[in-house]
Amino acid sequence: MKTRNSLPAVFLAPPLAILAVLAFVPTAYAIYISFRNRELSRPDGSFVGLQNYLDLFSDRRFLNAVGVSLTWEVVTVTLTLVVAIGLGILLFEFASSRMRAVMTLLFLVPVILPRVSAAFVWKFAFHPLYGIVTYPYKAITGQPLDLLSSPATALMTVALVDVWQWGLFFAVIVLKLLETLPPQPFEAARLDHARSFEIYAYIAIPMLKAPLISLAFIKMIESLRAFDLIYVMTRGGPGIATETLDMYAFSQGFIESGRISYASSMAVLMMVATTVIFTVIWKRVKP
Amino acid sequence: MKTVKTLVSSIAYACLLASSVSSIALAAECSGTIRVLAQPRDGLTLLEDYKDEFAKLSGGASFEIDYLNENDRRAKTKADASTIGKYNVYYVDEANIALFASSGWVVPLTDYYPSEYDYADFDPGRQKVATYDGKVWFAPITGGGDLMVYRKDLLEAAGIKPPTTLDELKVAVKALHQPDKGIYGIALRGQRGSGANVWRWMPYFKGFGGEWFDGSTPKFNSEAAVKATETYLDLFQYSAPGTKTGGWDESTGAFTSGQVAILIESTPLVGMAIDPKSSQVAGKVGYLPPPTPLTGGGYGHGLAIGTKANADDASKACAGLFIAWATSKENEQRRLEANQFSELNRTSIMTSETFAKLYGPDLGQALADTGKVTAVNFWQSPLWPDLGDRWGIILEELIAGSRTDIKDGLNELEGFAKDLVARSQ
Repeated sequence: MKTRNSLPAVFLAPPLAILAVLAFVPTAYAIYISFRNRELSRPDGSFVGLQNYLDLFSDRRFLNAVGVSLTWEVVTVTLTLVVAIGLGILLFEFASSRMRAVMTLLFLVPVILPRVSAAFVWKFAFHPLYGIVTYPYKAITGQPLDLLSSPATALMTVALVDVWQWGLFFAVIVLKLLETLPPQPFEAARLDHARSFEIYAYIAIPMLKAPLISLAFIKMIESLRAFDLIYVMTRGGPGIATETLDMYAFSQGFIESGRISYASSMAVLMMVATTVIFTVIWKRVKP
Repeated sequence: MKTVKTLVSSIAYACLLASSVSSIALAAECSGTIRVLAQPRDGLTLLEDYKDEFAKLSGGASFEIDYLNENDRRAKTKADASTIGKYNVYYVDEANIALFASSGWVVPLTDYYPSEYDYADFDPGRQKVATYDGKVWFAPITGGGDLMVYRKDLLEAAGIKPPTTLDELKVAVKALHQPDKGIYGIALRGQRGSGANVWRWMPYFKGFGGEWFDGSTPKFNSEAAVKATETYLDLFQYSAPGTKTGGWDESTGAFTSGQVAILIESTPLVGMAIDPKSSQVAGKVGYLPPPTPLTGGGYGHGLAIGTKANADDASKACAGLFIAWATSKENEQRRLEANQFSELNRTSIMTSETFAKLYGPDLGQALADTGKVTAVNFWQSPLWPDLGDRWGIILEELIAGSRTDIKDGLNELEGFAKDLVARSQ
């Protein structure tokens, strides 16, 4: 009996130990060096207390990066869910089962593409001289359309690519969720002359509240990791218009200054902020 | 007679190669794989066809080259050299060699560079940028200055003479700018970075008499910097679409695809512009030194021996042998034969008959003329990449229009520079 009870621990201990080493050691080290003034070119850093954290709040690039990251999160999560729910319902309502199968396959392609490849493909598609997306505008107006070079449109343009990858994938999930719902509430609503919009707004979506909240959280976490997409498409530019927190931290740590302590303080702050914010949101919206 | 001559020269060439190979082979006992972190270069790709030759020369070693584009290569080499040191050989450049050398991430090259490979044969300008603190740190793989490359057909059609002064350049660029016909006056670099937009801005700054520092006191916040920035922004009105956030690839791509009238860029552009394989305007291109008072941006990229991955002298010697072989006269001759103009660095090759036959006397003259105005435009300090990259961001903001006050940008950079210098002391 005793052997049976200890078996789960025997299996769980090694992966948990590996996970602890992989997750906690870098985190602990990041926290440790965030209190120092270590730079890549000078390994002899000293303890500086909270100085790195205090410096962040007078750094215009950091404050800008916080704003860009928040905008990115809100825009990509909201648009992804809107696109996913909209397309999912359209497919459920109007597509035959054969058409659904075909569309499902097509909708899965963008998310299968490696992020960097998708970024390169779309970067060329948005090129003002050769881009397929900008070509119609150029053909009609005679003027090139440089969406990635304008501070007003660059972030939204990159966000479109993110939504293209994840919105279509989530649409497939929403479709499959809708297919699992029992038909009786829908039939009852139709007998009561409810319109399609009302059926989905007041019956289907509330019934899917729990999985949709889970999808929103998955996308929130995924959106925090959009570094590769933004890096390839704009490198944080023009200027600092698309520079998110992770990109600025990377710039400070490895591209520009080699100030890894300063970069770590940003990473630690981001970790604490996301943990707190996600916990609060989770507790408030918990289905 | 010609056959005999060819035979004799072939035998001489074979003897030279064999003698150098045998003398080194006696000394070299290398094994394993020499790992190289580089940015894409045709010359390096060509080396991969001759791995067996290096294995024989080194006593059994091989090599593996990982490629990253310029900005990523800079970030990755810095990260690797300062932490785990996985690579035996780093691709470095004029802008970061001071940082690598002063941080001890690379070792002085000539201590491990076999004398048979004749380092003194490299172009003197490139030797100069490879030298920091009195020591040579890398062997050049590419380098040079700037050339103004222009479309002869467009200038002739418009009745415009190739500009030789900045004022003439401004007039010509404006007159040649015809976006409705898909022709843009010029192509500049807008992408942030000490090696990107700042690199192309610096000839204006230095040309107007700007200076970066006097000792540790910043001097760049000056009338020259304001005028240089105004001129750069003014010219950007006529720059090809996509260049506001673009770098070398976007500018040269726009020119070689026939959409730009005049381009001032680093000398490798010429090789691309006159090669029908990479240029739609080959045969329509003329070249001159940059218009007065612009200085040419002297630069050099090359291979250096990493400190951490080569823990002992024997490893350093193997890395040194690889670098010597990769940049040898024999390999440079192969690059010349493969028409890799931008990868030529040795005086003996650039003054050879084959070079003159391939590229004609005009290019040789233009290169000689531009050599006279080529200068070190950047601040030769380990702190340069940090300062240059910060100015690159401010400059990109000015180009993109998200900031408009040049003086305010320079004031911000000056504050940053003072902090930077204070932190380093």
